[in-house]
Amino acid sequence: MSGQAVRQYGFYFDSSLCSGCKACQGACKDKNDLAVGVLWRRVYEIAGGRWKKNGNVWVPDIFAYFLSMACHHCENPVCLPSCPTKAIFKRMDGVVLIDTFACIGCRYCEWACPYGAMQFDERKRWVTKCDFCADYLDEGKPPACVSACPMRALEFGDISDLRKKYGGTSEVFPLPEAKTCEPALVIKPHRSAARATKETAEVENWEEI
Amino acid sequence: MSRFRASAAKEWPLVGFTLLSQIAVGAFWTIAAGLLLPGRGPAIHLTVRAFPALIAVLILAAALSLFHLGRPHRAVFALNNWRRSWLSREIVFELIFLLLLALLAILRWRKAGSPELIQGILIVSAVAGFAFLFSMSRLYMLNTVPAWRGLNTPLSFFLSALLLGPLFVAVARRIFFQTPGFFGPAAVIASLSAVLLIVLIAILFTPGIGFLGVKNATLAEYPVSRVYLFLLFRFAFLAAAVLGIVLAAKGRFGGPLNGTWLTVAFLNALGSEISGRFLFYAIYNRVGV
Repeated sequence: MSGQAVRQYGFYFDSSLCSGCKACQGACKDKNDLAVGVLWRRVYEIAGGRWKKNGNVWVPDIFAYFLSMACHHCENPVCLPSCPTKAIFKRMDGVVLIDTFACIGCRYCEWACPYGAMQFDERKRWVTKCDFCADYLDEGKPPACVSACPMRALEFGDISDLRKKYGGTSEVFPLPEAKTCEPALVIKPHRSAARATKETAEVENWEEI
Repeated sequence: MSRFRASAAKEWPLVGFTLLSQIAVGAFWTIAAGLLLPGRGPAIHLTVRAFPALIAVLILAAALSLFHLGRPHRAVFALNNWRRSWLSREIVFELIFLLLLALLAILRWRKAGSPELIQGILIVSAVAGFAFLFSMSRLYMLNTVPAWRGLNTPLSFFLSALLLGPLFVAVARRIFFQTPGFFGPAAVIASLSAVLLIVLIAILFTPGIGFLGVKNATLAEYPVSRVYLFLLFRFAFLAAAVLGIVLAAKGRFGGPLNGTWLTVAFLNALGSEISGRFLFYAIYNRVGV
């Protein structure tokens, strides 16, 4: 870690607004020229439900919602201590970056990260991840994914400000408990998210992620 | 839940690295235990090529591990984070173990060093070997990977060393000792004990199906039927290994061992551990996405 962080950038995601259009995913891929199979931001479709008897008729009682996920630039990132080469580091603004010269492509961080943020690039032979569009941040511009969202479901800022403004949580099915690595993430859950934790829900369409 | 699963077939370099390293450490412990026993002068029965043979096994293990890396030419960077990363510590202890073996090899070759000095180095090397295997198991015990974070990981790694090391020494006894048959009974007792413990650990701790193993949705992606299939292979190999050991000893554990049956026992024990290690990587699944 490069000294004590003076701020901690984070993302806010409003799951109740997200339509699953994947504009954020596409904008990220385009801006960072990502290889086939590498997605720094991914939109997960979570779905579940069952048949319900309504009088004499069986009707579908189903639900679905989306989660747009990238690296959450955790306050206590599990990838950072796991890296044997010290290639992963945290900037003073909380952004977690990879020193691509130092990365040996052991993929140990990929095993450790519960958000699937670390992505091995077969073309480059090292691990890559969302860099919060650090170059844009330095120019005072928002990350590409935030700009691209037509629903304004994504926001960025200092995580303490986002938490003050939106409250919210970072524990929505199927994400892990926040204590695992304290993600700099605030989510406004979709109304069906509570059902997903109680009923059988799954991430659908893995081939699109 | 995660899209990314460590494909067992893809992890063959790590299967090779972990098992060869465990063979080398287990074989060294066997030799060191024998040499440190009261009444045996250090290195009297040891051949000049004994320690170089173990060094060769370790170097082969390290070479295999490079195939796991995206950029093997920068592998030396893996030492950088030894203060925090168990992966770095694993490599640090492997190097220390290798250097101590090299020192022992030189002392044996030059017939130098007092018995006390050699005994001291043997003990320190045995501890370095332990630290190497401990770091190796600890690095897999990630909080985000329930199937790996339990006792199953260190137990299976150390038992592989206990099973394969002594058998390796017994099979390759002409490489290690001037007196054929030296340590035969020790190999038989150690490997049979290891077999019993491996079966017990597999029944108790195999994630998904063991009585005390992890049982939750994070394992749901890997079919339980395949876990049973891997275990079936493992137990079949172990049974054949036990039969080989019994036939090699001809029912008497004090006399010389039959080399052919010992080799059969070692190869089956190796088959068992290869099955077990592939299963270990196959059941990877982290929490979250």
